[in-house]
Amino acid sequence: MRHHPKNETLAAFAAGQLDEGRALVVATHVSLCAECRGAVAAFEAVGGEMLNSVEPVAMSDGAREHALALLDREPSPVAPAKPAPRPVWQAEQETLLGYDLGPWRWVSPGLHYRAVKTPEVGGTRVFMLKAVPGLKIPAHAHTGTELTCVLKGAFIHEGGRYAAGDCDDADQDDVHNPMIDEGEVCICLVAMQGNIELTGFFGRMIQPFIRI
Amino acid sequence: MQAVNWQNGLEQGAHPAGLLLKAGKLHDRPAQTDLRVKSPAELARLIEAVAARQDRDAFVALFDHFAPRIKAFLMRSNLPAAAAEELAQEALLTVWRKASQFDRQRAGASSWIFAIARNLRIDSARREMRAKVLDLEANEDSEPPAPPDAELLASEREQRVRAALDHLTDEQRRVVRLSFFDGKAHGDIATELELPLGTVKSRIRLAMNRLRDVLGDLT
Ligand SMILES: [Zn+2]
Repeated sequence: MRHHPKNETLAAFAAGQLDEGRALVVATHVSLCAECRGAVAAFEAVGGEMLNSVEPVAMSDGAREHALALLDREPSPVAPAKPAPRPVWQAEQETLLGYDLGPWRWVSPGLHYRAVKTPEVGGTRVFMLKAVPGLKIPAHAHTGTELTCVLKGAFIHEGGRYAAGDCDDADQDDVHNPMIDEGEVCICLVAMQGNIELTGFFGRMIQPFIRI
Repeated sequence: MQAVNWQNGLEQGAHPAGLLLKAGKLHDRPAQTDLRVKSPAELARLIEAVAARQDRDAFVALFDHFAPRIKAFLMRSNLPAAAAEELAQEALLTVWRKASQFDRQRAGASSWIFAIARNLRIDSARREMRAKVLDLEANEDSEPPAPPDAELLASEREQRVRAALDHLTDEQRRVVRLSFFDGKAHGDIATELELPLGTVKSRIRLAMNRLRDVLGDLT
């Protein structure tokens, strides 16, 4: 894994401050990247420290007794089996666990698009792109932020080569000239922030599918 | 959580985290509470006691320590007091249910409970799906090697986090707290601190890089 989300993105993820679309892309990368799991754990520890140092606000009278009464209604906890690994991206089925996916739709020669249905928050839309090897995507600037996780195959742009698992946490003013690497179809998960009036190259291409 | 407007009413945004950390021992506790400050190792032991024998005294101690903090924490992220209290209750109930999943070698008590409260807050915003994908524990596929002295590790970890926060400048600590743990949008922070947006963003970036450098991956 060569490309990771920025530290501030991982921190926001750990703090629970990313909108769902961006959180999904980060979670997908993190499920594939031990290094970033470590980073998220570190930022969660910062969160724990923040929690410890906050000025407490007293619970109302009887809150503790209420909690104890609730325990009486709890079934005895059974030690759970070690949870099975649950990657967000299921490579075999080319699907995202727990999400409704729209159909693949043709965008332009060699390029397909599929919506990932998440409740829309903060104008972030999530979708998958599938592109054939060698496809050149015209230069485009990011007008909002775009967060991308490669699920399969690879693409190359000014920032380097992005292969399966890599995350492209693009700045607003990055200009990219991506090309799909030879050899294999490339599938990416993208969270794109923008207004109803989507701008940018992908935005213009994809707009017909996400009309509200 | 850019879509939410966060409340500014609750004093603490003004305090650099480091000051709060140092002042932590002086905090008033709710009247019913054991006044001693609990060490990370003690907190971990309490969770383990709940896991091992459904120890209600341990649960009460955890409740008294964490419920008022979770409530405070959630109120700062713009939840009304009643809703924050309800979620704090739910968080402690979750601690009771999931105590056996706690592993002090993987996370400190506070960060484990922080993650529980965070996920409940996300849930409460009807975003169960996101909480599900945030539940990183499920993605761990291998046991970490057991360190020789878990007790030492827990307090070391805590010390490293404090040291990392101490490494930040006051300004950096302040934007970290406002942005990531009070959930303020960058624009609101810029307005509040009378700084350009770009400055706020680069301050956050620098602070997070620095934290990450000092913390390593904490595993
Ligand atoms: Zn990574």
